[in-house]
Order: sequence, then structure tokens, then C-alpha cells
Amino acid sequence: MGLKKKNSELFVNTIGLLITLGIAFFLVIILIFILSDEPGKTIYYFLIGPFINKYYFGNMLNSAIPLIFTGLGIAVAFRASMFNLGGEGQVYAGGLAATVICLALPSAGALVGIFLAVLSAILVGGVIGGLSGFFKMKWDTDELISSFLFSAALILIINYFITGILNDPNSNLLTTPLISDKYFFLYIFPPSRLDISIIFALLTAILVFFFMFYSKWGYEMRMCGLNREFSRYGGINTAKYIVIPMFLSGGLHGLAGSISILGTYHMCLKGFSGGMGWNGIAVALIARNNPLAVIPAAIFFAYLEAGAKAAMLHSDITFEIAAVVQSTIFYLITAQALYNFVRYRKRVEV
Amino acid sequence: MSYLEMRGIIRLYKESGVLANDKVDLSVEKNEIHAIVGENGAGKSTLMKILHGLERPDQGTITFRGREVSIANPLDADRLGIGMVHQHFQLIPQFTICENIVLGIEPKKYSIFFDREKARGRVMGIIKEYGFKIEPGLTVSQLTFGQMQLVEILKMLYRQADLLILDEPTSVLTEQEIKKLFTTLRNLKKIGKTVIIITHKLNEVKEISDRVTVMRKGKVAAVKKTAEVDRKELSRLMVGKSVLYDIERAELTRGLPVLELKEVTLRQKNQDMPLLDKLNLTVHASEIVGVAGVGGNGLAELEDVVTGLRRISSGEIYYNNNRITNSTIHELREQGLCYVPADRLYRGSSLRSSVKENMIITNSRNFQKAGIMSQKRVQDFADTLTAKYSIDGDTALPIGYLSGGNIQKVILARELEAKADFIVFSEPAWGLDIASSEFVYKKILQLREQGSAILLISSDLQEILTLADRVVVMYKGRIAADLANREITKEIIGEYMHGIRGDFEVK
Repeated sequence: MGLKKKNSELFVNTIGLLITLGIAFFLVIILIFILSDEPGKTIYYFLIGPFINKYYFGNMLNSAIPLIFTGLGIAVAFRASMFNLGGEGQVYAGGLAATVICLALPSAGALVGIFLAVLSAILVGGVIGGLSGFFKMKWDTDELISSFLFSAALILIINYFITGILNDPNSNLLTTPLISDKYFFLYIFPPSRLDISIIFALLTAILVFFFMFYSKWGYEMRMCGLNREFSRYGGINTAKYIVIPMFLSGGLHGLAGSISILGTYHMCLKGFSGGMGWNGIAVALIARNNPLAVIPAAIFFAYLEAGAKAAMLHSDITFEIAAVVQSTIFYLITAQALYNFVRYRKRVEV
Repeated sequence: MSYLEMRGIIRLYKESGVLANDKVDLSVEKNEIHAIVGENGAGKSTLMKILHGLERPDQGTITFRGREVSIANPLDADRLGIGMVHQHFQLIPQFTICENIVLGIEPKKYSIFFDREKARGRVMGIIKEYGFKIEPGLTVSQLTFGQMQLVEILKMLYRQADLLILDEPTSVLTEQEIKKLFTTLRNLKKIGKTVIIITHKLNEVKEISDRVTVMRKGKVAAVKKTAEVDRKELSRLMVGKSVLYDIERAELTRGLPVLELKEVTLRQKNQDMPLLDKLNLTVHASEIVGVAGVGGNGLAELEDVVTGLRRISSGEIYYNNNRITNSTIHELREQGLCYVPADRLYRGSSLRSSVKENMIITNSRNFQKAGIMSQKRVQDFADTLTAKYSIDGDTALPIGYLSGGNIQKVILARELEAKADFIVFSEPAWGLDIASSEFVYKKILQLREQGSAILLISSDLQEILTLADRVVVMYKGRIAADLANREITKEIIGEYMHGIRGDFEVK
């Protein structure tokens, strides 16, 4: 009886997602008919655009990479019933940390430099996230609020560094200097900017999955997330699992920042990470906090973005209209995932 | 036909498998104060929640003022003139008395704005009409519990309730406040209101009520005129007749002290009465100490304190002669504490986690190597427990899909398998059938023979008399009696539990 229950729930959820997708695309088509003078062309590029050539397809996958990392970061925290709303700042800080390391070590070996850059990004992101966890453990401050506030302040501080002492005077962009090209990740799908870090992203998702469901830490963390009172009763050090998931979440966000720098931007542009943190939350919601499902969810988001870009380039649609269309889908999907999430929590708490 | 008639009320809690109301009949006459008494879990609160529309009965009818009514939610109940004050006050502390009273049916200006003036006027009117003295502009968070209760009563009167239900109204009040409350209730009766009061304090039943319905294990045990029964008889009716288990308790000489409580006191913020008042209690190896008491007298607090879930205000606790006064449950678990909690659905299990995951919460380190869990060993362990304790259910599914009895078996299996030298049981057989209970009791006695020190906290006196070597009775946070389990009866324990006895101590 139980198995049936579980399966039918999965069935209902999947059908629900499909129906939402259907409604979303239907709305999008209506919107395009209203807003575009050449709706056929626009719809074509919106839906098929990302697949018409290697360049578009590769770039779409490339922009999915940071979303995989941030989605994983959110999922890890969610599984422990912790909420990290500071993703934006953590990604940005990770990116800056990686850039600074690369700039500071112009003559190190490529692998050593990359290793140090990535490691420092993870640590910086982790400490920022972990701090919210620590505050919660110590003074019971809400990690949702504190992580958001830290992030909001941090973004401004990082902007100060990028436009101030770290600014590249030779560039007319608001950015740091370019990092040494020996640190660039290998492109694997030219002419697109898709680089080797996609493999790293896939491996990380598998690793996180394994950690969550097959390690002792993962077990204890999930138990804390599902019922903290029970975990305390069972002798788990629950205070520890307030800090650790926030550290891991922040670390994964920092990692996302460093990967974007080393693979895509090669310098810390002002505001390069905008949206990566928020989209990570949506990705995790759609993936229902399953680390492996984060991969298709992130690609789906990247697909929406790539479709909007393609439609902009090839038809009469403007950036704003593309954004409206994109967010229509985004809101509907997130609302559905959020609804499931809330309903799930409610049912269990009653 | 009585004023209120509840007939054949049945309410089964599916999640836990508890039959809270089993064909309950209740009849209340107009203009009487009717007490409902019974032990914890006897079904009093469930019955009243059904009457106030917070729960739906599975079967049964309610007739009020001669008409059959259907009460789907508290609004229906309000409309019929049935009001209820819950044990935990339902007030918004930041709001004023007046705002709390009119909440939900505020007088409005231009049909959208809250009309403060009119609200205050109406509330003042109610206060004057019933002869109370309280300033409606005060914020609720400044009030004493007694005043908060008055606000709750005013809330009912503002809604023109004729039948007032009070669920354990005196549990948080001081003696003076209780006196005031009773005066209020008598006055309300005088002007024609009808009152149902839930309590398990027998002296209050005698003092305030006209008639009393005694409930036991989801059924009505008796309906009496209060004047015609004494407290002893009520106590006897509440605890019921003995069920004999087919269980033999071997004679054992107890060993060394394992757990020692010395002058343990637990205080709560803003409350005069300590929850635990200078407890001295020792549990020896090969000994079962049964703790009996009515809810609200410190049993739950004792459970939390000895398991390290709650820090005591003063006193000392020793475990095998080591001071553990400030140890957390995490540290105690590492030293080998085992604990079957009364709250099985939230504390004892994690409903969304699989049965397997629930089984290894206390000893997950035994199933890992370098931090990686061996799925096979977990599965083997789960299969062993399932077979040994005849647990019915797929171990990969969330434990919430299991019946209440099976959930309890999972908890017992987990805690009993650890074979600790000190175990706390709280209501170990609650909700289990006779056969399963016997199985659990035999296991507990087995542990005793193996030399464990066992603290058994239970509201089931039969259970305590069957298992315990010593019986400790708690009353108002104190130990009212510490009796050797020889020649004592349910009736005697019952009298200590209700404060009828307590002048002498037998050791």
C-alpha cells in the first residue's frame, strides 16, 4: 500500500510539472503573438534557437554550469532544513577570491594555481555561508535573513574592490585585469565557450548525491533536516548540522563563482554573477532538492535563457520582452515547485 | 431530552491507531456545571474538540437544544453558542485585551476600517454586564495567566456563548486565581449559562461541579452527581479494574546505584511553582522504578531532565557516580543511554524518514566505514529487527506509513537492541494491543534480569504494578510517595496521584 502511495505521489507531481510546463509555453506563445510582429519566427528561435548550431548549444550548456553548482548549494542546505538566501554574494565573493589568487600568482604552475583559486573560492563562500549558520547556532538568528543581509552588503564591498584598487585601468569595462591564460579552462566544444568544467559540474552533482545519501554526515544532516527534535533525541550533535550545511552551501556557491571566472569570464567583471544565486534556488526547487535532478533543472534554465537570447538576435523582440517571456515560464515553474514544497512541509508538520 | 446530547461518538486517530473516543455518550443539562474527568489520553479533550468543531467524529450525533447539529468548524460552534477556552490560551500577546476579544468579528467603520471606539465600547459593556474588573486597553503580554483566562472567557461571552467549555482551566493558575475563576463560573451559572469543565484535579471537581462524567480509555466509565461521590471513588473509577498480564517478575536483589537525582529542581521563567521540586531519586542496577502521576505533575519534565534534553535549575544528577548534571543528550547517548519517549510521533521517530533510517539514528556510526554507510549492513540490521519484533512494514518506506503500533515497535526495537545499562521508558505500551504489550513487558523484564537500571514513566498503573520494583508517585512536581511494590494497589497509587494521600511515606 505504501509503495503505491509513493508512486502515485510521484505520478501526480510529474503530471503537475508537465501541466505547468504546458500552460507556461501556451502563455508564452500568446505573449509572443501580442508582443512580436513576426511571432512565427520569434517562437521558432525561442524554442528551437538553442539547438540550431554548435555555438548556441554549447553556450547554453556553459551557462548551465554555474547553475548546477548553485542549485546543488541550495539543495544541500534545504535538505538540512536550512535556507541560504545569500547565494548572490557568495558566488560573487568566490569569483573575486579566485581572480585575486590567479592575479597574485602569475608564475605558479597552472594546476597549482587553479587548485588554489578554486579552494580559496570554496573557503570564502563557505565561511560566508557558515557564518549565518554559526549565528543561528549561537544566537538563534534566522539564517534566511542573515545570509541575505551578508550577501547584500558583500556585493557592495566587492563592487568597491573591483571598481577601486583591483580595477584594470587599461580596460574600459568595470573589471579586474585579465588572469593569466594558463589558468583558462580548456574549451571542449568550439566555437562555443563550453569548457571542461561541465564534467567537473556533473562529477560534483554525483559527489553531492553520494554525500547526501550514502555518507554518515549526509545521513545525519538529512535526519536533522527532516526532524531536528528526533535527531537530538537520537544523540546527533544537532548544533553541528546548523553550521555544516550552511558552510557546504556557501562553498558550492563560491565554487560556482570561481568556475565562471576560470572557464568563462577570465576576469572579475562587476556584477558577473548577477542572478546565479537566485536561479540556483529555482533550480533546486524544480529538482526537488535531489542533487542529480539539479543537472536537468539547471540545463532547463539555461535553455530558457539561451532561447530568449536567440529570439532577441534573430527576430524583432527586445531584451525587455524576452525577459518578460522568460520570467513567465520561470514564475509558473517555480510557483508549482514551491507549492509542492510548502504542501509537503505542511502535511508532515500537522 | 437534555440540553446537550452527544451520542455514540467514535473518533479514531489513523496515524497513531489510537481510538480516542469509543462510542462516547455525554449529556449535559441546561444551567449546570458539568465536569469531565479522566487520565491523560482518556479522550476528554478529543470529545470537547469534536463539540467545538476542531475535529470531526467518525461516527455519532450531537443534539444541542433539542436539534441535531453538525459542527464542522469552530465558527459553526460559535454560531450555535458553544464557546471553548483551550488549555493553551489562544491570544495574541502583542494585542490589547479589547483587540483580542473582538478579533475576527470586529466592528467596522465604513465597512472596511476597524472601529476602535465602538469595539472598546462593546467590550466595556460586556465587562460591566458580567461584573468583571479589567481595563480593556491593556496589552495581553502584561497580564497574569488568571487575567488571560478572563480574556478568554470574555471572548466567549462577546460571541454570546451559552455553553462554555473550559479545557483544564486551572493548570496554570495560582490558588487565588482558581478561586476567582470558580466564583466567575458560579456567577455565569447563576445567569443561566452552562459550563463543561475538563480537569483531572478531583478536589476541583468536588468544589465546582454539579455532575461529573468519568472517562477511561476512550469510554465513559461513569456519570455521577458530584454530591453523591467522594474523591476516592472518583479516583477508583478513573484508574479502572486490573487486567492481569501473563507475566512473572523474578525476585532479584538490586545492584549498585546507576542513576541518582539529588535535590533536582526545574523552574520555568515567570512561574512561581517549580515544575520539579527537589527530587531525590535513585535507580539501581537490576531494578525497575515506576513513576506514576497525573499529567502536569512533573512526569514529562522528569523524562526530559534524566535524558539530558532539558537543563535543571539546581541539584545534581549522577550516572554511575559520574556527575552528568549538565550533560547533553548527545553526551549521554555516547555513554549508553537508551530512551523510549512518550512522544513517539515527533521525538521518537522521524515520520518522513524510512524505517531503516529510523532504526539507526542512535548508532549510525556502527554502520559506517570512513564515513561511508554500508547499505547492506543497515539493511541486514533492519531485517533482523523486523523479524525479531514482528514489525509489519517495508523498511525502505517512510515510517509515517506504518501504523502506530508498528511505529512504537520500531522505536522499542531500536532502543532495546542497544542493551544499555540505563534505560528510560515513557509509556512504552501506549497504543499497543495486549499481546504486543506483553511482548514489550517481557523484554523490559529481561533487561532487568541482565542488570539494567530502568526508569519507567507511565500513566498506566497496571503497567507499573506489573513491572516495577518500586513505585514513585509524583504530585505537583514533588515525590508524593516512594513505595516498594508489595501489597500496594492501584487505588492507593491513585490516591497519591490525586493528592488525597501524601501525609506519610512507606519505604
